[in-house]
Amino acid sequence: MLYLSLVFVFILSYSFYFYGKKRALSLKFKKNENLSSLPDYYGYYVVLLVFFPAIIIWFFLLIFKSNFQEMFVMSPVLFPDVATWSSGKFGLIMNKISNLSIIVNLPEIDLTVGDKSILKMASESEIIAAKNLANFDKIYGWSNLTLFIILPVLLGFLATKSISGKLNAQPIVEKIISYVIKGSSYIAIFITFGIFFSLVFEAINFFRYVNFMDFFFNTAWNPNRAFVINASEGFDQEALKEAFGFVPLLTGTLLIASVAMLVAVPLGLLTAIYLAEYASSKVRDIAKPIIEILAGIPTVVYGFFAALSLAPFIKDVGEGVGLPVSAESALAAGLAMGVMIIPFVSSLSDDVIKAVPQSLREGSYAIGATKSETIKKVILPAALAGIMGSFLLAISRAIGETMIVVMAASLRANLTFNPLEPATTITTQIVTSLIGDVEFDNPKTLVAFALGLTLFVMTLILNIAAITIVKKYREKYE
Amino acid sequence: MVDQNSNYALQTSEVYVHYGKKMAINNVALNFPKNEVTSLIGPSGCGKSTFLRCLNRMNDVIDICNVKGKFLLNGNVDIYSPDIQVETLREKVGMVFQKPNPFPKTIYENVAYGPKIHGIASSQNELDEIVKDSLHRAGLYEEVKDRMDDIATGLSGGQQQRLCIARAIAIRPEIILMDEPCSALDPIATAKIEDLINELKENYTIIIVTHSMSQASRVSSKTAFFHLGNLVEYGETGKIFTKPDKEQTNDYITGRFG
Repeated sequence: MLYLSLVFVFILSYSFYFYGKKRALSLKFKKNENLSSLPDYYGYYVVLLVFFPAIIIWFFLLIFKSNFQEMFVMSPVLFPDVATWSSGKFGLIMNKISNLSIIVNLPEIDLTVGDKSILKMASESEIIAAKNLANFDKIYGWSNLTLFIILPVLLGFLATKSISGKLNAQPIVEKIISYVIKGSSYIAIFITFGIFFSLVFEAINFFRYVNFMDFFFNTAWNPNRAFVINASEGFDQEALKEAFGFVPLLTGTLLIASVAMLVAVPLGLLTAIYLAEYASSKVRDIAKPIIEILAGIPTVVYGFFAALSLAPFIKDVGEGVGLPVSAESALAAGLAMGVMIIPFVSSLSDDVIKAVPQSLREGSYAIGATKSETIKKVILPAALAGIMGSFLLAISRAIGETMIVVMAASLRANLTFNPLEPATTITTQIVTSLIGDVEFDNPKTLVAFALGLTLFVMTLILNIAAITIVKKYREKYE
Repeated sequence: MVDQNSNYALQTSEVYVHYGKKMAINNVALNFPKNEVTSLIGPSGCGKSTFLRCLNRMNDVIDICNVKGKFLLNGNVDIYSPDIQVETLREKVGMVFQKPNPFPKTIYENVAYGPKIHGIASSQNELDEIVKDSLHRAGLYEEVKDRMDDIATGLSGGQQQRLCIARAIAIRPEIILMDEPCSALDPIATAKIEDLINELKENYTIIIVTHSMSQASRVSSKTAFFHLGNLVEYGETGKIFTKPDKEQTNDYITGRFG
């Protein structure tokens, strides 16, 4: 019902557009009034004056539905002393009533023995309250529906009535629209800050348990040591000191991301050069979307590709030449990740190379440069900043990737730069620290937020660098 | 027919150009005397730029463009022959474009680009000398000598165009093609370029496409009038602008169409 009334709000406010416009036009032609705005704007004016009050009230009623419900059920008429109840008692009674409401309207024959005894134990006023509760949805819905038919119509007629030739509807409409647009963008910004601060506050909680320096500079990662608890003083400080060393996670992340970039940069860049400069437009139209599909494959698919195909293959090859390769190697995860981010490099670089003006190419050809000289000496330098931007975006993607590492690399922190050994990453440890039934105020859980914050800052810096470089490149050849 | 007269830097005959099925140039024959300036004039879309771009095979870049005809450089080199490398042709036939298109590199690098590619300079000193000399000839040296390492795109439009001319002459071509080189410039910069053209014709054969008939009359000794892909009239510039043979030419230069 509540949602049906939303439909009414939309339909009614939309239909008032025609009514408002008609009224404005009749002022113009029948009463020979000069309109201050274009006729359309009187239509918009009425629509906005109907829609926004109605939608705000609608949201209000939706959000506070449970409050209305409580007021309706726990009325002082039924429970004269309700104002004096503690919130605990209030909640208990409310629970009881909502249990009762399920059975209170059932016919005698459907009741179990338990149900009957519950009904017997309930007081008279509780039964009435339960019946009210059972009917509440219906009553609330119908009154809502009625309200949202009457309210828009009322508002619509009032707004239409207020239309006169002197009313300048255009600035009013534009002002409202500009607030709506502004508001939408502020919501996105607000959410970004919200996420950031939720990370910050939880990370601060974490650093109450673990020293800042220990976290960033210790080289051992054993979060399970955080469970060593001394009876007298809570967490064992010594164990805690050694539990969270960030360094192996950082090296693991960098190692896997480097392998990924070693795959993605050459393949992606050469692909971009081919697509932009050599491929015929037919090939390009087909090849580019196909390559972009790589970015759309779910990462979990890359994960099992890496774990089930790539890793055993690398192990076999490695052992063939006498190298000890772990079954879960950073190399396998990095390779799969590299394939995944090829399109980030190729697609963006392709766009950047394509954006280099044709006149520069012709200028170079006219001096007698070959195509490859032109690409090497004119086009790539001109597109360099944009290409670097694509690399940085690819790196942020690689650093943020989780699933492939979870499946293919390892969960064990290992301080190594050897890609044949297992390694783990920041994101993977965030996942493992949040799963399992550990209470929320344990440092093992809270470390996820410290890691998340660190990761956030790392990718933020990379993104800012990428944006700065791309901006600089825009100024270059115009 | 093309005669073997070596007084011509470039001789063309029976030139046909098609863009896909659309004809752009229809049986044009035109010879360009050495060390003279020849103007190609005509209304927009008449094929003069297309014709110009045939002369250094710039049309090769355009897939759908199909060029047929005889083009002889210095009376003996067929520039469309499969034996000719297009890069060596362009070393001899330079080009300056309508919109200045300096590379986003330093002023020095812009001019040194061609000599480096073609291996003209044997040492860094010689390269410096070539760059300096080319900028001199393009009349730009005095203005940029203190900022050779600045990015060229920071120059004014007229300076950029002169830089492009310097870039073109740095590889010592025989012929310079100019495709409306002043259309993006203000009158003062235009005057400078025109002065430059007058100086350059001592050493180079210049073929210039222009929309400005006064420019054609100022800078060129020969003028060719194109219309709808045909060469309508060719002759001494003075004659074309005073007593043209064809009525169409007369209509165009007196501003009755185009």
